[in-house]
Amino acid sequence: MAKLSRRKIADVWAGEIAAGRDITHQVAAYLVDERRTGEADLIMRDTEVALARRGILVADITSASQLTSETRHALEKFLSTNMDAEQVAYREHTDPHVIGGVRIEAAGTQLDATLRTRLNQLKASKI
Amino acid sequence: MATDLSISELSKDLRDAIEKLDVAGDIETVGIVTRVGDGVAWVHGLRSAGYSEVLLIEGANGETVEAFALNLNEDEIGAVLLGSDESVHAGAKVTLKGTILDVPVGPELLGRVVDPLGNPLDGGPAIKTTQRGLIEREAVGVIGRKHVHEPMMTGIMSIDAMFPIGRGQRELIIGDRQTGKTAIAIDTMINQGRQKTGVVNVYVAIGQKLSKIARLVERLKEERVIEQTIIVATGPSDPASLLYLAPYSATAMGEYFRDNAQHALIIYDDLTKHAVAYRQMSLLLRRPPGREAFPGDVFYLHSRLLERSAKLTDELGAGSLTALPIIETQAGDISAYVPTNVISITDGQIFLETDLFNQGIRPAISAGLSVSRVGGDAQTKSVKSVGSHLKLGLSQYRELASFAQFGSDLDEATKSQIEKGQRLTELLKQHQYQPASIWEQVASIYAVSEGAFDAVPVSKIKDAQFALLTRLWTDHKKDMQELTKGNEKISSDSKYAKLILDAAKSVAKGLEE
Repeated sequence: MAKLSRRKIADVWAGEIAAGRDITHQVAAYLVDERRTGEADLIMRDTEVALARRGILVADITSASQLTSETRHALEKFLSTNMDAEQVAYREHTDPHVIGGVRIEAAGTQLDATLRTRLNQLKASKI
Repeated sequence: MATDLSISELSKDLRDAIEKLDVAGDIETVGIVTRVGDGVAWVHGLRSAGYSEVLLIEGANGETVEAFALNLNEDEIGAVLLGSDESVHAGAKVTLKGTILDVPVGPELLGRVVDPLGNPLDGGPAIKTTQRGLIEREAVGVIGRKHVHEPMMTGIMSIDAMFPIGRGQRELIIGDRQTGKTAIAIDTMINQGRQKTGVVNVYVAIGQKLSKIARLVERLKEERVIEQTIIVATGPSDPASLLYLAPYSATAMGEYFRDNAQHALIIYDDLTKHAVAYRQMSLLLRRPPGREAFPGDVFYLHSRLLERSAKLTDELGAGSLTALPIIETQAGDISAYVPTNVISITDGQIFLETDLFNQGIRPAISAGLSVSRVGGDAQTKSVKSVGSHLKLGLSQYRELASFAQFGSDLDEATKSQIEKGQRLTELLKQHQYQPASIWEQVASIYAVSEGAFDAVPVSKIKDAQFALLTRLWTDHKKDMQELTKGNEKISSDSKYAKLILDAAKSVAKGLEE
């Protein structure tokens, strides 16, 4: 049997999640059987992209400190309006290295408004 | 300072940052590097990336490494790095630059040595141009082209007389190593300076030894041709991606002049190394190997490059880009994959033979295997009139000469043909860096082919030629300057024919056996 592309696996999985069916065990069994467990992270990324196309957004939010409920609310609103998402789920990460601001990664896109990135950009432009 | 920031201040910063977010401008597509090695990075994500689009890979220390996408697969992108792969690691973030590869173009590049991305390599100041040109660009269409009709004089008698090159032509220089391929290209560049043709030279060194490039630059400086020359240099230690890009970016630089009603000459030294660099990239990108392990599109690699050399119509400014690609053969085998490809793409080839080179016949041009398919219309009238029978005469001589080795009983006609052939062969020998002007070529060939030097021993033909040219220049400078315009057909009743033959006969008297 021809090897299924990661994109196809992700598409099927996302379709099932959107329909409210959980096939995580089947996907895991398939990956083990096909000796493709090493691709699990990439398939997860692809699945998030496929879910986003179906209006379900899974985002990673990184900031220097814990988010306040006010900020969380603002971010949720921002994500649902700008990424056309009906449902928003997010994982919060705290990383002091970003210094300030916030970085949102979702469905193969990124919004980097951290101070660290701005400083790196300044460094690269040699101002 | 970051250390002075309190949590509440950070929270305020965060809120401010969110309020000030420029949403549309900052959301970017990102991918990640899944594996990297041998100058190739495999990227997951970035589904909107286009072929040849520039990718920005985040380096280990916050710096950015550029790459361009060559393999667009369903699950990943194969990208070739334009710099070192040392700082690129698996997991690194990749974003799209939003452009395909381009280079600075314009007159500001003249006299400079640059890399394929347009960065100076000569230690000079940064190059600031007002325009940029796409490295990969579609060639001019049928309607935009005109037939090749203006001469691109190389200054090499055997080429200009027998295999003339016209502006907008693609003429291949092919031969084994150490047969004088680059020498022909350099002489042609020097000739553009000496004859003040105004043609811009673009020399592309693809994986050439840096010492060789340095020598070339020095020579061009000595000859004062560097001011009308752009050198795009890549050395053997450069990544294969740069070797692959070099001819395309140099063509973009040459096209600027073509499109601005000027004439440019581009020398690709050499396309064999270019094909090898592309093979390396293709194999690392896991494309299926074909004949000689080259990928399937190695023909297209060169055909799309050389098709950009053209003569434009008057409506488009009548500019031209002439290409002299160089191909190195192994043991004279022109039926190998890359040589046959490029032979079929170009409008003719100049074939250089090791045997001729070792016999001291330099340039070692093979009269039998060389051809110029479109240059005839571009040849000046005067050179055409004296050179029309040269190729046939030389080919017949070589045939007779090999036949004559079997016996000494030859009739007078054959003997005289052999002797004339020997004299012509001797005449066509030319030292490097000494390109001849039109009048020098016309006078020399006419004198020998009309038998004015028949009494001169073969070993003294070059002396006779030198004496003839000196005399003609001293006594008839104005006529020779007129002859150099090339509009006069040389026939037995023309005044130039009489001048040349009279001078040749008197010169020959002093050199007879």
